[in-house]
Amino acid sequence: MNILVCFKVVPDLDLMPGGDWNVDSRLRVETGYVKNIINPYDESALEIALQFADKADDDQCSPGLTALTIGDSKANLHLKTLRALSFDRAVRIDSKEDLRFRPETCAALISAYINKIGKNNVVIMGRQSGVGDNAQTPLICAEMMGWPCITQVSSIEPAAGACLRVTNLVDDGTCRQTIEPPCILAIGNAPNSYLRVPTLKDIKAHGQKPVEVIDAAVLMATGGQPALPGGCELLGIEAIDRRRSGIIIEGETAAEKTQALYYSYLKGWLAGI
Amino acid sequence: MSLDKETIVEKMTALLGKDNVVTDEQVLKESSVDRFRRFEELHGVFTQPIPAAVVYVHSTEEVKAVLNFARENNINIVPRTGHSATEGGLETAVENSIVVDGSGMNKIISIDPYNMLATCQCGASLQELEDKLREDGYTTGHSPQSKPLAQMGGLVATRSIGQFSTLYGGIEDMVVGLEAVFPNGKVTRIKNVPRRAAGPDIRHVIIGNEGALCYITEVTVKIFKFTPENNVLLGYTLDNMKTGFEILREIMVNGYRPSVARLYDPADGSLHFSHFAAGKCVLILMAEGPKPLADATGKAMEEIVSKYGGCKKVEPKYIQVWFDNLNWDVGKVAEEREEIMATKNIGNTTEVAGTWDIINDIYEVCVERISSEIPDITLIGGHSSHSYLNGTNMYFVYYYNVVNCRPEEEIAKYHLPIKKIIVEETIRAGGSMCHHHGVGKHRTHWIEDEYGSSYYILETLKEAFDPQGIMNRGTILPGR
Ligand SMILES: Cc1cc2nc3c(=O)[nH]c(=O)nc-3n(C[C@H](O)[C@H](O)[C@H](O)COP(=O)(O)OP(=O)(O)OC[C@H]3O[C@@H](n4cnc5c(N)ncnc54)[C@H](O)[C@@H]3O)c2cc1C
Repeated sequence: MNILVCFKVVPDLDLMPGGDWNVDSRLRVETGYVKNIINPYDESALEIALQFADKADDDQCSPGLTALTIGDSKANLHLKTLRALSFDRAVRIDSKEDLRFRPETCAALISAYINKIGKNNVVIMGRQSGVGDNAQTPLICAEMMGWPCITQVSSIEPAAGACLRVTNLVDDGTCRQTIEPPCILAIGNAPNSYLRVPTLKDIKAHGQKPVEVIDAAVLMATGGQPALPGGCELLGIEAIDRRRSGIIIEGETAAEKTQALYYSYLKGWLAGI
Repeated sequence: MSLDKETIVEKMTALLGKDNVVTDEQVLKESSVDRFRRFEELHGVFTQPIPAAVVYVHSTEEVKAVLNFARENNINIVPRTGHSATEGGLETAVENSIVVDGSGMNKIISIDPYNMLATCQCGASLQELEDKLREDGYTTGHSPQSKPLAQMGGLVATRSIGQFSTLYGGIEDMVVGLEAVFPNGKVTRIKNVPRRAAGPDIRHVIIGNEGALCYITEVTVKIFKFTPENNVLLGYTLDNMKTGFEILREIMVNGYRPSVARLYDPADGSLHFSHFAAGKCVLILMAEGPKPLADATGKAMEEIVSKYGGCKKVEPKYIQVWFDNLNWDVGKVAEEREEIMATKNIGNTTEVAGTWDIINDIYEVCVERISSEIPDITLIGGHSSHSYLNGTNMYFVYYYNVVNCRPEEEIAKYHLPIKKIIVEETIRAGGSMCHHHGVGKHRTHWIEDEYGSSYYILETLKEAFDPQGIMNRGTILPGR
């Protein structure tokens, strides 16, 4: 099994000061001052792939693992960490384009990589990223590859016959199914999927191994099918006001406060739902 | 112990009322530990003796009554306020202890801008006090990372320090007067005066006592004018810590008083600054106060840094954004717990201090030994965050994966061996093993080495004020 895990490096928007949400003339928000992180859904994808590899290792059929990102050199640190975590390959498709709202371009680059270089048969990625919030890349990628795509995946385990046992959330519950690759798995909310941390020994042994850098334009020119037409045109951006207010409930005793909470707030609210 | 749990609970209920005596099993278990044992706690493993009760006190009189009862019946008392202790100071080392929680004594009693004083009860939240002061253009100048969690009693009891300490000092420089109850039931008040030379400074018997000598009930601290509009923030990247220490020294010995003077090594910096300083050390300086003073201090510090090769200036916005996210609130604590459970990767810290001539050696030898001697280590680094005329502190930060051991073995396998290296290397070099978290219960092993011949004074304080040893057994001094 040859697994490709795709991830995006994004600014940690939780750290953005409220007053800094200013949109410039190119409809961009300056986020360079905050730390970069791996998009949380992609972080889950990477950890789930490692957990899968751990389990497959026990069954003595360890998969090849490649981590791939599209972007500029700020992703290199993360790629090195992934190398230290025993990803066999760490690849960056070098692109300086604004891909925030271009899932079709991301999907085209990923497909080109798979077809031309990676020859992977399982692709795992987060369902969406906080920047752009498109939630389309895995689906478009599946369409371009002609592969099935399972969304809202929360765990993947090895199954007999080089198959995968995939658990995902569906409308009315949880679905567990056995899948024969090729396939694309879009990770949703997955418990226990913070990315593990490499030891200093791991970093010394593997973290210095090279990161492969591929030029996006060259990749597309030589191996890509053209991107599907974009589904949306960006017209404007505005910050969502997430400020909350609170009320301090007064009362002499816990019982009095509970009464006040119930009669003044909860009762009406409960009646309304 | 002379009384059983039921009798203790009965007597406490009679003294304080039913609502103020908590015996819920889970609460008692969680009250037997602090942050030092959070890996065990997260796994639901509690290895310390469980207290008989957590009692909530609301007045000095109640504290006195509880202490009198404890003394008469030889019961161990663990004072508590914000519950953010990191060194085991809140561990209940003795079966059927009483945890005396002062968080209900949370009044800000007075703010006196004429004499520049603020007085509050021990359970007043520093965040609330600071927010209230800032509304009127004042500040305590105290800003520990735990500001949203910690309360005044605990902050004084641990000799805490904040991010602006290089200008405003540690809590010991801020406390003017105090009220405390000693285990013999004596309520003592130290009055608020600008200075006095009427014998030794007895405030220092109370400040830093970690609940091992007395119960702090009220604190008066200095306040300062708050003028953030004058702040001059400077940030630099540089290649090594040695140069950074030299710069800090030059700033301090030339008489400049930045409020912030922080120097991060690349490993610790990777947790904060990887987006602009990957692989580099980071130096952060801030000048504050009246505008002419802040400007002059800022300019002079820039000149000093410019003399050292390899220092590259960073846009202050990078530093400001980071600084605004530095403190830990309950949300961050909860997030950390979730991450630890998922990754089994945990981070801890040990903070030491040394004079300028030894601090870089302490830093280097500790990093080298820990990275080579401790298994499963994922990060070892640190920063200096509080500088003085004579030296600075080193705050070691270390993370490790907990591998092949039960939750209750984590401390012995990883944390204590790391602490041992840091403490022993620091004492060997002539530094202090505790800069601002207090001794707690896990550095008592080295307390005699820390004090040398002056240990006599410390021991005598304990014998004089707590002859029965009912105050926070095993804290600062090893348990008898
Ligand atoms: C996330 C985090 C960040 C931190 N950052 C800093 C920092 O920047 N600077 C710093 O100095 N410290 C820091 N600390 C550690 C520090 O010890 C505390 O935050 C603070 O000083 C403790 O205050 P507290 O009210 O929480 O006390 P507690 O945790 O309740 O108690 C601390 C100690 O003081 C004793 N004590 C508490 N109340 C009283 C009282 N009324 N009378 C006598 N003894 C009492 C206790 O028995 C215990 O030994 C940090 C801790 C955390 C968890």
